[in-house]
Amino acid sequence: MSFLQPWMLFALPLVALPIVIHLINRQRYRTVPWAAMMFLLKAQRLERGMARLRYWLIMLLRMVAVAAMLFAASRPLVSERLGGFQLGGPEMTLVVLDRSASMEAKELQTDRSKRSVALEKLADLLSRRQHGKRLALLDSGTGAVRQLDNPAQLAESFYTRATAAGADLPGLLERALSYLQANEAGRVDLWICSDLSASDWDAASGRWTAIRESLAELKGVQLYLLSYGERPQDNLSIRVENVRRRQGVDTSELVLDVTVRAWDRQRSGSVSVTFEINQVRSLVELELASGAASLTGHRIPVGDQVLSGWGSVEIPPDSQPADNRYYFAFAEPPVRQAAIVTDDSKVGDTIRLGLEIPSEIGVQHAVEVVPASRAGAIDWEELALLVWQASFPAEPLAGQIRDFVDSGRAALIFPPERVDDASLFDARWSDWQALTGEEQRLTWWRGDTDLLARTAAGDPLPLQQLRIFRHRQPQVGSAIPLAWLEGERPLLVRSASGRGHVYFWGTLPMSGYSTLEQDAVAFYVMLQRALTRGSKGLLEVEQLDAGFELQERLATAAPVAPVQAAPLVSERGLLAGVYRRENRWLAINRSPAEDDPAIVSEPDLERLFQGLSWVRIDDQVADQSLLASEIWRLLLVLLAVALVLEAFMCLPDRARRPASSGEV
Amino acid sequence: MSKGDELRRRFPEDKVLARLSALGLVARYPMLGNVAGKHRSPVRGSSLEFAQYREYVPGDDPRRMDWRMWGRSDRFYIKEFEADTNLRLCLIVDTSGSLAYEANGISKAEVMKKLAATLAYVASRQGDAVGLFGVGERFHTQIRPRRNATHLRVVLNALDALEIGGKTGLDSALHEAAESTRQRALVVVISDLFLEPEVLNRCFRHLRYRRHDVCVFHLLDRSEVAFEFHRPTRFRDLEGDGAILTDPGLVARPYRKAMDDWLGELGKVMRDSAVDYRRVSLHENIEDVLLRFLLGRKPKPKGDRQR
Repeated sequence: MSFLQPWMLFALPLVALPIVIHLINRQRYRTVPWAAMMFLLKAQRLERGMARLRYWLIMLLRMVAVAAMLFAASRPLVSERLGGFQLGGPEMTLVVLDRSASMEAKELQTDRSKRSVALEKLADLLSRRQHGKRLALLDSGTGAVRQLDNPAQLAESFYTRATAAGADLPGLLERALSYLQANEAGRVDLWICSDLSASDWDAASGRWTAIRESLAELKGVQLYLLSYGERPQDNLSIRVENVRRRQGVDTSELVLDVTVRAWDRQRSGSVSVTFEINQVRSLVELELASGAASLTGHRIPVGDQVLSGWGSVEIPPDSQPADNRYYFAFAEPPVRQAAIVTDDSKVGDTIRLGLEIPSEIGVQHAVEVVPASRAGAIDWEELALLVWQASFPAEPLAGQIRDFVDSGRAALIFPPERVDDASLFDARWSDWQALTGEEQRLTWWRGDTDLLARTAAGDPLPLQQLRIFRHRQPQVGSAIPLAWLEGERPLLVRSASGRGHVYFWGTLPMSGYSTLEQDAVAFYVMLQRALTRGSKGLLEVEQLDAGFELQERLATAAPVAPVQAAPLVSERGLLAGVYRRENRWLAINRSPAEDDPAIVSEPDLERLFQGLSWVRIDDQVADQSLLASEIWRLLLVLLAVALVLEAFMCLPDRARRPASSGEV
Repeated sequence: MSKGDELRRRFPEDKVLARLSALGLVARYPMLGNVAGKHRSPVRGSSLEFAQYREYVPGDDPRRMDWRMWGRSDRFYIKEFEADTNLRLCLIVDTSGSLAYEANGISKAEVMKKLAATLAYVASRQGDAVGLFGVGERFHTQIRPRRNATHLRVVLNALDALEIGGKTGLDSALHEAAESTRQRALVVVISDLFLEPEVLNRCFRHLRYRRHDVCVFHLLDRSEVAFEFHRPTRFRDLEGDGAILTDPGLVARPYRKAMDDWLGELGKVMRDSAVDYRRVSLHENIEDVLLRFLLGRKPKPKGDRQR
């Protein structure tokens, strides 16, 4: 409960007025000579029962009437969900708004989303309730704090519109903390409007500890979590997992892998999937089994002249419109070029063999082996993968390699035979080590993703048989290990640089160094995957997850889709759609995490805000009740009832017959 | 001070006294007086009122024989007539402290004295004997009924000299009066009767047992019944030193209930004891009260007589 006119509550001691008047009256008694004392004594004995109770009830009703009048004048706002008793308002109110795609889940009858309902209710509440001198908004779309003039702007602001992006709640709260610390706000109401999506909240993140401690240090911060945790079970989401253009002998076609998932894992039945490419629509019926359906290798013919373009897949509308459409772009796959820089021709030949043979139909590979001395002559523009087996180069070649990787392509580095102290990508090689016995075996490798991931059939790569006889350990500043030898000695690590990746492999594919040459399957797969990854940097298309960080890249791009509603420049990157920048197609969609219906569990939520002053308000889109309402009318009714009851209890006894003489 | 002045001071105006005297005070039951008067006697006498025929027995006065009856029936009958006699009016007045209660400037004591004096005057005017008994905690004034010409002044002077105060001993006084008054008398009690009804019941039954005609003037003001106080009040006991400070809002309801219950029981006692009960409020006109009283005692048509 809070009050719009809290200063009126200072008059609350007036509630004791009836008692004070009673006590004053008792002191101002008058003396009456009285004859019928026997009846007074009897009455006093009887008065200790019901009469006294009645008297105190009258007193209580008078006090209730005064209290009701004072409370009505202080204009209380009441909500079961807000909880607590709040006298006065905060100095500042900061609203942290989750604008993620999952917040667009709608109530079909009212056609209102969680986000719009939350904003509307919060604007209403803040317009009634004191929100302090400052009202600020921190939205997950832009991640910036903006001052608002009045609560009504919450519902109208450009920065509270829908997005297809995710939300980083820990990051948002870190920014909120920075803002509050910078502004040295005193008493602050911090509102978090979210649908509690597990991926957005990332409850396992270590950042929460620091957030919790910092919030606890900031005295006077009252947290309100306005949550919309309900998940519509009728929701289906669609996503294109893979799309490629394939040039046949006499025809060209797109090959798509599409998945449809239901939030209800038990759901079955059919779902219509509409494909739209070059304004040509086609319809496919999919059968859901255990809440999922997939369409693999679905072919859609396109004209020979159409070398690149975009399209979308769509499912019928449901309660979550943000995941009913998925945009994709396609282009003719480029020739996958790889350059092998080595002074050892045998090593060069071995690697070239692994790279030359294409693993996919319709894709061309071109591989050249270059000695280290001629590395400067490599055409970096068309190259997808650089395989380097030589001493790390000096500038300017080192810079060219860094630019090459930063542009989104890949480099695979093998150790040189000669030991030196050179470095590249902040990495050095240790000395050669001869391995014996069990040291030669891989004890662990990452099989879920990257170069050593399982095959499409789910089988692990045959790395158990691999033996490493000589090994140079890559010493990289920040790298992710992908394979270990005995003693957690890294054999393969990955380091990120710009948009690309650099892989360090700690041995050579030669007898005497390893059995890679003999166990060629794993080696072949590893090389092909590295080339495929590098070639993505050359693709004319990019599938990107929506996010504010794309805005700069898309500022100069031309919006292509959706056709009817081109996004504003400041919305680019936040909304799903397709853009064209020079010759590249950029398809923007929600991140896969937004399709996950999981929400933060109750224990996790309790843990995240443990020790903080916070109130959770679980709301629903269909719930039309306001977060708080004024109850002065109710108090006036209470006042009237108290006065009527008081008057009723004060009624004199029934009319008495006047005493008169006469016979009995 | 002359007698006329005294009367005017204590009683209503002369015209009022004349009207009341004209009505006369009548006993409801036969009285045993010592001289002829206006009241019925249980013995036969020589009044004009025929009573009965009785067979002649030797020793009867032959002058009272009805010769017409002898002519018709050839038997001797004596014709008897009612005897009229005077009465003894015993005024028992309560002088306890509660009689000092005032309402609108009139006290119960004043009303009591006016009632007693007026009745004494009326009874004296018609030749009845008048006595006065003042009761505080016990009898403190006892003037036996007499009917000589100067006795009224004695009674009036005693009334004037009555002092109000102290507790009431009315119950024991009534028992004593019942025992000490040998012959039948008209006993008029003027009091506020603040005693338990059961106690009063025993007193009046005692008086009735002694064949006294009992009449009660109950002095009770309507302010005592209604108890219309609103502010906290300290009630000082008129019969003692005690006082009660209370909020009338708290005690009014039970007070009224106790008063109602008491009046109900008192009425029943009066009916059961065949007491001529008159409740008098302080605001009432004394003449009206006595008019109702005297008219109510007028003899009923024949056949209503009782022994």
